[in-house]
Parts: sequence; C-alpha cells; structure tokens
Amino acid sequence: MVVVELKPFNEILKLISPYKKVTVLGCEIGSGRCMQGGLREAKEIAQFLENNGKEITEVLTIGGTCLIEKVRKLEFKETDVIISLACGAGTQVVAEETEIPVVTGVSTLFIGADCHREVFYEYCIACGDCIISETAGICPIARCPKSLKNSPCGGAINGMCEVNNDTECVWFTIERKLKKLKQPFRIGEPTFIDFSRSNHPRRFKNEL
Amino acid sequence: MSFSEKINNGKFIITAEVAPPRGTYYQTIIEGIKPLKGYVDGFNVTDNQRSMVRASSIAMSRVLLENGFEPICQFTARDRNRIALQSDLLGAYILGIKNICLMTGDFTTLGDEKGAKPVFDVDSLLMLKIVKTLEEGHLINGKELKGKPSFNVGAVFNPFAGPEKLQIEKLRKKVELGAKFIQTQPVYDIETAKRTHEIIKETGAIPIIGLLPIKSLKMANFIKKLNPKSVPDKFIEKLASAKDPHTYGWEYTLEIAHGIAEFGRGIHFMLVGKTYELAKFIDYLKNESPYNHKF
Repeated sequence: MVVVELKPFNEILKLISPYKKVTVLGCEIGSGRCMQGGLREAKEIAQFLENNGKEITEVLTIGGTCLIEKVRKLEFKETDVIISLACGAGTQVVAEETEIPVVTGVSTLFIGADCHREVFYEYCIACGDCIISETAGICPIARCPKSLKNSPCGGAINGMCEVNNDTECVWFTIERKLKKLKQPFRIGEPTFIDFSRSNHPRRFKNEL
Repeated sequence: MSFSEKINNGKFIITAEVAPPRGTYYQTIIEGIKPLKGYVDGFNVTDNQRSMVRASSIAMSRVLLENGFEPICQFTARDRNRIALQSDLLGAYILGIKNICLMTGDFTTLGDEKGAKPVFDVDSLLMLKIVKTLEEGHLINGKELKGKPSFNVGAVFNPFAGPEKLQIEKLRKKVELGAKFIQTQPVYDIETAKRTHEIIKETGAIPIIGLLPIKSLKMANFIKKLNPKSVPDKFIEKLASAKDPHTYGWEYTLEIAHGIAEFGRGIHFMLVGKTYELAKFIDYLKNESPYNHKF
C-alpha cells in the first residue's frame, strides 16, 4: 500500500486561503488504511475548516481515488477548491479530471507494509527489478539505506543499521531468515541494479 | 621501495591517513606530514569522510605526489554513480595516482549535508569489478578504452561488522575481484588484531591493520558508540584514571603496533597530529626492534 501522512490542519487551511467553498475528498485505499486520509479524517478536516470560517460543500470518498473510471464518474457540487487526501497518484488523477483547483492534504511517503495500523514500514522502492526471491523474500534494495543488493556494508553496529540505529541491518534479517529456511546464500558475482527500469515517469501497459 | 613494491615483496607496510582540507589551503597539511616522509609507505587520502565536504581526494592525492608522498586515493560509492566513478578512476590514473582504496562509504545523513541525495549506484564489490574491467581495457558497457589504467587496488574490512559469515565471504569476493591489500577499521586489542590479520591473510590479500590512537575519554566513548565491541572496557578504565589520557592512548596504540609488527604485514595509522612521535616510533621499528628485518 501507499503510505501517506496527513498535513497539519493549519497548513491545509493556509493552502486553501484564497477559497471560500471547500470539498474534502478522502481515499479509502492507502490513506484510509493509514488513518491519514479516509472519510474519518476528511470529516475532521471539514470540521476544523468550518470552525475557521470555511464553507464545506461536501465531504466524500469514492474508495480508490487512483481509479480513473471512478473519478470520471464523480460530479462535484459547486465548490471553489477540492482538498484531496489521496496519495500523489490519486490526487493527480482528480486534478486531471476536473476544472476545479485541487490541493493535497497529505504528503505521500512510500510503499509500505501495515503493522496493525500503528507502524508502517517501507518495504519496496519499486526499482522494477525484483530480486527478493533470492533474499528470502526480504528486499535489501528498499530496506538498506544504501540499497546494497550484493552484500552488507561494513557499517552495522551490533546488528543494527548504521543509519537508523533502531532498525536491524536488513542483511542480518535476510541471513536469519535464510538459515530458518535452510537455504544457502552465497555472495556470487556482484551485479548492478538496472536503474533504467525505475526511471520515471514509468508506464506499464497491460497486454491482456 | 614503493608501496606497491612493498606489497609484492612481502615487506611490512605502514600507511597513515590524511584528510584533504575543508577549503583550498592544503599547504599546512603537507607541512604537517613532512616528518613522516620516508617513514610511511602510503598516505590514505580520505574521500569526504563521515559524509562531510572536503576538497577532492583525487586533487589532494595529486598534491601529495607533487610533494614527494605516495598517496592511496580513497573512492567511495556514496557520491558517484557508475559514470562518475569510471570517469574519476580514469582521471586519477591520468594524474599519476596508482594506489586506490575502494569502499561503499558512510551514509549521507551521518554527515553535515543531511539533505543530500545519496547515490550508492554501486557497492564496494561493484567498484572493484569496475576497476578490473577498466584495467582490462573496457568500460563496463563494453566500449574499448584508449589506454588502460593499472592500479594497485585496496579495499577495507571492518572486523566488528556483521553478519560475520557474510562479511568474510564478501572479503573473499573483494580479493577475488582484485583487492591486493585490505585496510581495517581501528582495533584496540592485540587479539582482535591477530584474528583480523588471519581472516584477511587467508583470503590471499595483505592485511593492513587499522590503529587510531585515542586522545581522550570522550573520544574513546565516541569510538565505542560506533563500534561497541571495539574498545575494551579495561582500556577505558585505565584511560579514565590516566594522568595524561592523550599520552596513555598513544602509548597503548604503539604497544599494539609493536605487537602487530611481530606477526603482521602492515599497520594503518589513522592519526591526526603526533607525526614526529610516529616517525620516531617507525624509526625504532625499522632499525632497533627485533622485527626490523621485516621492513
């Protein structure tokens, strides 16, 4: 899922300072799951804005805001601005499909794993060249700050990452898991990551 | 005898570290290391160590050469992608820099430009592979070079990092990919020095054991924070009760250095200052110590 972080309400208020009538659009996929931009947060923002002199036209969600066919069906009531709480992708889809100004109420963080809705961990950087079959299903490209694909760096301190000392070095995690799986791991001929596969903007065409 | 001749001839090697200036004034640095001329076989010129900006290691290496010192130019993967790395390696060679030491490098957020975009396009193994490819006369994309470099290549090993099995395997790979000498993170007891020496020796590379004299209790705690297993508690206790911690730290380091001369192949002094004293110690090692035949 895409993990987002709600902007402080005051910041949102500042973003929409030129406008009077406001629509708040939540998203139930990543944002809702993170509890940073679902319907509940959309309502909280609306209440805050109303208390600060704005006129709330509508508070709604359509489930996934990155689904173009759903967004196209949307008909907004008369409003000066739309606050989108979807990730960067969803918000852009909305902005593209309407003539009304769109601002974002969240910052998009990363592709992550959801741990009881309490903590979200970055697990994937969408490098486009997935190698986790060889690393016990654990991605060193995303989970090592240096994206070391071939082996650990020499910086781990007591098994913890030199960059984030509250995080285990991912190569320790990989080694432990491989041992458990009784899968041997050998440092083979080092290979380059093909970053041309993650050059953005990317496109994927479904050939089905 | 040059640094690489010493490596090839089985001689004992002494290297020291020198950081390029934060600025353009390098003359004092050259003046500072003058007492070590003829004593130290090679000077590791650091590459923006701890992710803090200093003048380029390539430029500083060239200045060392011009002043009659033999540089070991450090290259990290932190700030260069594979294009810049190949270009800088070729450039360094054109400038007469033959000794290089390759490492992944500290992460950007550990330094003072925390907002910088870290590169890490390649790692230390791939850096070695790149050097090997250049030496074979090609770029890594296969294009032929007009004139190929020939380096004396080194890499690094941290005896306190893990997972141990992977680190040793990685070390082996580094040697397979052309690392002739391996310099280590600082060690603070002779047992670790011996064990590290053996691990590296087994790979076929020349072990050059790192020593960083501790000047104060504060510094000891800092190093311990970086590598909790590296600084023995006993040493810290003695340092705390020492009348002059600076001198005590220095003498302690020399004691280990002397021990390494007994069984080892080389010492890497990561020191700042005390150059006269270091020259005196090296003079003793080379001339009066029972191991003087090794030099």
